[in-house]
Amino acid sequence: MKKSFTPVVAGLSLLLAGSVANAAGELNLYNWGNYTSPELIEKFEKKFDVKVTITDYDSNETALAKVRAGGHGFDMAVPSHSHVPIWVQEGLVTNARVDQMENFKHVDDQWRDPVWDPGRQYSAPWQWGSVGVIVDTSVYSGDINTSSLVFDPPEELIGKINVPPEMLDVIHTAVLYLGGEACTGDKDLLRKVRDKLVEAKPKWKSMDYGMIEKFAGRDVAASLYWNGAAFRAKEKNTDVRFGYPVEGYGLWADAVVLLKDAKNVENARAFMNFIMEPENAALMSAFARYANSIKGSEAFMPDDMKTAPEVIIPEEFRAAGQFYPTCAPEVQKLYTAIWTELQK
Amino acid sequence: MYAVRSGPVLVKIANMMFKQKFSVTRMPGFSVVAMICFFALYMPLAPLVIYSFNEGNNIALWEGFSLRWYGSAWENELVQGAAIRSLIIASFASVFATIFATMAALGTTRTKPYRGQMTIYAMINQPLMVPEIVTAVALLILFALIKQATNYHGFAYLIIAHTAFCIPFAYLPIKARLEGMDNTLEIAAADLYARPFKTFRRITLPLLLPGIFAGAMLAFVISLDDVVITEFVKSAGQDTLPTYMLGQLRRAITPEINAISTVLLGVSVLLVTLIFFMSRKRGN
Repeated sequence: MKKSFTPVVAGLSLLLAGSVANAAGELNLYNWGNYTSPELIEKFEKKFDVKVTITDYDSNETALAKVRAGGHGFDMAVPSHSHVPIWVQEGLVTNARVDQMENFKHVDDQWRDPVWDPGRQYSAPWQWGSVGVIVDTSVYSGDINTSSLVFDPPEELIGKINVPPEMLDVIHTAVLYLGGEACTGDKDLLRKVRDKLVEAKPKWKSMDYGMIEKFAGRDVAASLYWNGAAFRAKEKNTDVRFGYPVEGYGLWADAVVLLKDAKNVENARAFMNFIMEPENAALMSAFARYANSIKGSEAFMPDDMKTAPEVIIPEEFRAAGQFYPTCAPEVQKLYTAIWTELQK
Repeated sequence: MYAVRSGPVLVKIANMMFKQKFSVTRMPGFSVVAMICFFALYMPLAPLVIYSFNEGNNIALWEGFSLRWYGSAWENELVQGAAIRSLIIASFASVFATIFATMAALGTTRTKPYRGQMTIYAMINQPLMVPEIVTAVALLILFALIKQATNYHGFAYLIIAHTAFCIPFAYLPIKARLEGMDNTLEIAAADLYARPFKTFRRITLPLLLPGIFAGAMLAFVISLDDVVITEFVKSAGQDTLPTYMLGQLRRAITPEINAISTVLLGVSVLLVTLIFFMSRKRGN
């Protein structure tokens, strides 16, 4: 059996070798599925004569597990902001000194020193978004930049509100709404948060995902939700708008890191620098429909994105956005207790 | 007098009742329960298939009939690459798994009962019992060590992994076929001085062929559909169709995913139907 097995394996490796590398170099990017612009990759391949291979993952946990195990063959990965510190602490990534790269000058001030990568040494910005309120303005025409629409809803919206089943986003937003700070351990405030959520729940219609379709079909008139979905829902229902709660709202970001066991370090560094160029950042946004962090990229974006408030946060609402930190275990327990009670 | 005469009749009635009692299909409410089960099994698939023909970009908002998404999936290079990879892996894995499974089936049926036979039987079927995620994590760790040591990142890992978990699926139909086969023909061949290998080649193997085909096809479908183990074992650029689809779900989904799912579903149904007809033929 062993004898007949060897040629097969040899044949297979030939088959694989044949499929790789006519280009001078290689680059292996490990990214979320359906998130990498093919145009961007093509442009990079031509410019640097490098064959880029993209492999998909579907969660931060899967990506972390595979890279931790080693032997994965990837050069770069794109973890979410909440996971970047874990990758750094576990020594899975190289300090690429992104802040010293040529195109770093294009990075918007807001993104030059994020809390999860101080000094922006390890990670190059990929794309980001926010968690605000989507509102159907044909149902409610008042001010939409407030989370009171969800927690103390006006008459018109009662029974037409959705809240996504995302514990951290919902509770953090409620904490900020009641004047607290994210991950607060203040039990009096958390008690108020619990009471507010329990009181508001009967006024909601659902706790669900899939809001693009729901707004398009006018089944829901307001929802705590992500900006990218609001942008897509507006394509179907022109009355849809996205509000940035002045009481405070959450931000998320994904960022490119250079892996410690990368084989194509120079190509990876070239790629990190490449995506910080405004024209290339615009290609990323045009494909995945999320905002990037590069100044001047708007000029290269598709017309519908250039001025969209869902994509580019209006100046006056910028300050209220924040990255939620990872809460202490005892606070997480309190959050979970509130969440469990809300689910009853 | 009466009792004596009615005796055989009672026995007859009892026999009839006894026979009927064991035909599940005659139990009251059988068809209702069966219909509910079929409904629960297949109902969720209906919207998936229906929306694959949607004209618009939405997976839950009907905008008219079109084959647009089938076209876009067909032309999508990432889908093509993933589909070809899936087929290559499934072909190799099902062939290897069937060879091993056939040997295992012969070793557990065409022998005198021996000590530890049950243990071996249980060990062959272990992949059916162990949660997939456990196998996946174990393989991730093991292969990571090998990948680091050898620097080889090819398809062989996926093929070996798929072969391993496909073996029990190929084994079960082959073993069933062997157990149902009368071994008098093999004994007769041996009586006529055929050597064991010749007996196997001329008698056992031809009779076993339908079982082997059924096993191979089942292994093929199982390999084609696998997500968890593939996700953990794959190296750079080795997305298969199911892992590609899983990646898509995170971001905006279009009916293209429905179209791909529908085709995968069609292939699975086709293969399972073939297996069914093959096993029916052997029954006759």
